[in-house]
Amino acid sequence: MRKFKKFAAVAVAAAMTLSLAACGSKTETPSTTNAGNNATSAATTEKETVKLTMWGAEEDQKMLQGMIDSFIAQYGDKANFDIQLGVESESTAKDVVLTDIEAAADVYAFASDQLPDLVNAGALLCIDDMDGALQAYAGKTVADVKAANASGSVDAASYNGKFYAYPMSADNGYFLYYDSSLVSAEDVKTWDSLLAAADKAGKKVGMTFASGWYNASFFYGAGFTTGLNADGTTTIDFNGKSAEGYTGVQVVQSMIGIAANPAFMAIADGDISNQIAGGKLCAVVSGTWDATAAQAAFGDGYAATKLPTYTLDGKQIQQGSVAGFKLVGVNAYSKNAGWAALLAEWITNEENQKIRFAEREIGPSNIAAASSDAVAANIAISALSEQSAYGVVQLVGGKYWDPTATLGKSITDGNLKADDEAGIQKALDDMVAGVTAPVE
Amino acid sequence: MGKVKAGFNAFFKSIGGFFKDFGEAVVKGDLFVKLSLIWVGAGYARRKQFIKAILVTIIQVAVIAYTFGFAPEYVSKFATLGTVQQESVFNLQTMKNEFNDYDHSFLILLISVISFVIWFASLLLYMRNTIAVYKLQKRANEGLHINTFIEDCKELLNQKFHVTLLFLPVLGVIVFTIIPLLILILVAFTNYDQQHMPPSSLFTWTGLTNFINLFGGGGITVTFGYAFVRILAWTLVWAFFSTATTYIGGILLSLLINNKKTKAPKIWRLLFVITIAVPQFVSLLLVRNFFADGGIVNTICANIGLTGWLRDIGLISTSYIPFLTAPIWAHVMIIFINIWVGVPYQMLIATGVLMNIPAEQLESARIDGANPRQIFWHITMPYMLFVTGPSLVTDFVKNINNFNVIYLLTANFFVTANQAMANSQAKETDLLVTWLFTLTQDYYNYKMASTIGIVVFVICSLFTLVAFNRMIKGDREEMFQ
Amino acid sequence: MKKKTFQIITHNLLLLILAIIWLIPILWLVVTSFSSYPGINTSTFFPKEWSIINYKKLLFSADSVAQFPNWFNNTFIIAVFTCIISTCFVLMVAYATSCMRFKMRKPLMNLAVIINLFPGILSMIAVYFILKTLGLTNNHLGLILVYSASSGLGYLIAKGFFDTVPASLREAAYLDGATEFDIFLKIVMPMSRPIIVYTIISSFMVPWMDFVYAKIILNSGISSQWTVSIGLFNMLEKSLINNYFTQFCAGGVLVSIPISILFFIMQKFYVEGITGGAVKG
Repeated sequence: MRKFKKFAAVAVAAAMTLSLAACGSKTETPSTTNAGNNATSAATTEKETVKLTMWGAEEDQKMLQGMIDSFIAQYGDKANFDIQLGVESESTAKDVVLTDIEAAADVYAFASDQLPDLVNAGALLCIDDMDGALQAYAGKTVADVKAANASGSVDAASYNGKFYAYPMSADNGYFLYYDSSLVSAEDVKTWDSLLAAADKAGKKVGMTFASGWYNASFFYGAGFTTGLNADGTTTIDFNGKSAEGYTGVQVVQSMIGIAANPAFMAIADGDISNQIAGGKLCAVVSGTWDATAAQAAFGDGYAATKLPTYTLDGKQIQQGSVAGFKLVGVNAYSKNAGWAALLAEWITNEENQKIRFAEREIGPSNIAAASSDAVAANIAISALSEQSAYGVVQLVGGKYWDPTATLGKSITDGNLKADDEAGIQKALDDMVAGVTAPVE
Repeated sequence: MGKVKAGFNAFFKSIGGFFKDFGEAVVKGDLFVKLSLIWVGAGYARRKQFIKAILVTIIQVAVIAYTFGFAPEYVSKFATLGTVQQESVFNLQTMKNEFNDYDHSFLILLISVISFVIWFASLLLYMRNTIAVYKLQKRANEGLHINTFIEDCKELLNQKFHVTLLFLPVLGVIVFTIIPLLILILVAFTNYDQQHMPPSSLFTWTGLTNFINLFGGGGITVTFGYAFVRILAWTLVWAFFSTATTYIGGILLSLLINNKKTKAPKIWRLLFVITIAVPQFVSLLLVRNFFADGGIVNTICANIGLTGWLRDIGLISTSYIPFLTAPIWAHVMIIFINIWVGVPYQMLIATGVLMNIPAEQLESARIDGANPRQIFWHITMPYMLFVTGPSLVTDFVKNINNFNVIYLLTANFFVTANQAMANSQAKETDLLVTWLFTLTQDYYNYKMASTIGIVVFVICSLFTLVAFNRMIKGDREEMFQ
Repeated sequence: MKKKTFQIITHNLLLLILAIIWLIPILWLVVTSFSSYPGINTSTFFPKEWSIINYKKLLFSADSVAQFPNWFNNTFIIAVFTCIISTCFVLMVAYATSCMRFKMRKPLMNLAVIINLFPGILSMIAVYFILKTLGLTNNHLGLILVYSASSGLGYLIAKGFFDTVPASLREAAYLDGATEFDIFLKIVMPMSRPIIVYTIISSFMVPWMDFVYAKIILNSGISSQWTVSIGLFNMLEKSLINNYFTQFCAGGVLVSIPISILFFIMQKFYVEGITGGAVKG
């Protein structure tokens, strides 16, 4: 650790002199320290060749190549870049990265729920340590980056108080799509009226229950929480009493009430798009990735809004949701960590988030980019931001998913009966035991 | 069991003989034989086999260079699997992260195992070499002819042709199968899991802890034991039914096609064989979507009223038929789908074997007035079983490890409703292999996966040992020759 | 006479019904590949609109998701080399264990049986790191080695076939002064066409079918390096399935065509090969 402090001191000194040089005029920099001298000379004299690899989603490849080109145009005078772009879906990045971190790309995009596992495996570079590089070359600090992005996205990119990745988009959450020609804007306010209207229209309301990502929304709405310990284990209180005084059993009873309604359709995780296209639905809980499918299926009636309220213990409770984000991280084993961090910063800056929205309708996490009129006019994204007021950043460990999916499955299969409170309590206790089990 | 015992005895005897030969060579060998204990080429050089001397010297130098140049860095840490944790600092001047000289536990394990294999092989070669040199000495003393290099090479194409034939295949098996297996066996005795993943963390030896945990003695909240027993039961049920159904189905289908009443049997055979030609990951993923809860079959069943009827009689409680999403349904469906996949293949085998049934046997049975069913049970089946018995055993073992069918039909698709299973990252449709695949791929729990792998191996070997002894009475090898 | 005709009709009708059951999923694969709607059709068996757009896209307009021509080339090359190496290894091991007698024969054969009992999937990660140490990850050579290096273990069927070659033939050749090498090449090989064909077909199919090893070894994310199986498998990602499902089907059809043709041409040998070998197992 002593070695580390020494390096940190040198790095800070270098950063300060360099940022002075960057902000100041072209006149000679005051060469007070040796470190400053070396840093400036490294930046100005001989150009080094920097090899980087980057992974992004399949659909984004063309757009990402454009961003790489603009990055090279921006920083081409500092070094020679050789940047290779590869395909890796954000939803599966973790699996590939963790198999062999050293072989993974320098810069990769991933969904925010993968952050804890990636950090625990040491696969992500702490962006806080890159402050000097950002100041020296991009003219901004890590604090600037954090301030520019929605606070939820910064929370999702932080773990144990450290900032590990750049927020890229705020689109990884869910809300309600509906067909306004069949159900009215009034109907979608509560689950009860929505299901009644759907029944009348002879259609169904779809939602995935068998996934801890979706079904936690009922618990979050009632004030329950999940969290992550430093050792990677998950904390969860679904089997107890929430801050607002509801019990987990009551929440499950409400969910059983919804699931048992004949107008409700439980959709398997990953099958939502198909079911939207199938044409049996008049409303569905999903995210922006299904916007085109919903538009095609609902036609002129295409509309979206926040999730409805549901009846809990005789009261109407707003359903919560998971506020998910896409993040761009830097491989901790990158051979060119500094430039990789700058590239990651570049593809997630305000300008490029705007491009991302313009080309692929991906909701920006950058506050300035999100405040444009075009973003506000986008039906899906504005519904998402409406829901985001009730969104919770879901930081949980890997053991969270299977047990919670099973709880949802037990509810939709009818294995749990609403009047069997002891049975529900046992199911919740078992689920919590599985989720909180130590990580192996 | 007697045969196996005899095999073991013979094996140990030959090892003993090897050591005896080596001892004799060392004691009775002349100066050059003794010298070749230090410089392996000495004995050959003395008998003027210079090319051979050079070749073995090159090997000796390479092994020594490996042993002292490359291996120590890793093998010396084998006892602890590394102690230096990775640390890094960012250097702004170079824009690079600077790492300390950290240990990578998995690489230490890997290189150590490779080194052990190399050293073991070198030791064997070294001893053989000494014996060979001593033999040369004896030949020389008796005034017999000593082979030139070219004669040695010719021998490799004749008396020692098996060495030539087996060298590359065995090398391939050692590098790509045996070494990985040794490593994975060792991993079962470590704590290699998500908390201890190289390169950022180290893992180390933990003895038998994983085995104790697997059988429920470890006191961890989530016991693997519960899931293990259930998955093991389903694995055995699956292996039995999948083997039996495809085997019998294959015979029946081939009898049906080869019947005299069949018009254009070749065309029929082709139609069934098409299913083999479509890669399994295509056909099975397709079938899985075919039978999905919201899939085409369910739509059709709902339209013709089958779903409603099943609901009325209480077979299902959902608004769809859970073909592949409820445990019992899925178990049955998986076996049916496996019939679809496996029967054409068995049909091809059965076709070939049935063609070889001695015609006179069938003829005489028919003259004796046996009906087709009697012929099937008393002639066809016994003959089939006699001929394909051994392959039935290997099929069973293959089905225990049948990854493709189960994984493609259920991964990311089947959600268990049993909380205790879910807490062990298992589901009712998992076989032991698919479970350990999930453990490694999604949970990085390599230590438990290896432990389960060893248990699978023990089960398979017990079964094979018993079955082979029952099925193969005596050595039938020479029978056909 | 009438009764007999009736029996023939019912007999063939039974076969027809079975064949239909067997072919329904395949038929669905084929018709879906001709659908103009890119996602999964869950309401009707046949597509609502027919089109060959999937094949067109797959073959002529490669994007980053679908680079079928590249994948097909890669897989074909890998398959050819795998096939050559595997076939040689299998025949070599089979000849040595069947036709020759040497001290280590029995122990080696027993060892092979034992090794085959281990679940191979388990050693995937170790194989990956061995390839990485050799610098062969993200490399088609590495993949060829993975598919073919251990193929010698699958020698049993070929050995069973060689066991049926009469020993007297070989003994006569020895008396004529032929070496083992001559016998292997000039006597046993020409008699073993069925088993050679069988080995060629089964080893040629491996790279087209495997999606586990290919995925872990070709992990650089450069999709033009992929094999057909990872490429097609990737199309079923949650975010892609709705736009690529029918292309996936089209890809499946295209892959099956060469394999089917190979199968149909070689069917006779294939059956003989298996049976000769299965006799011994």
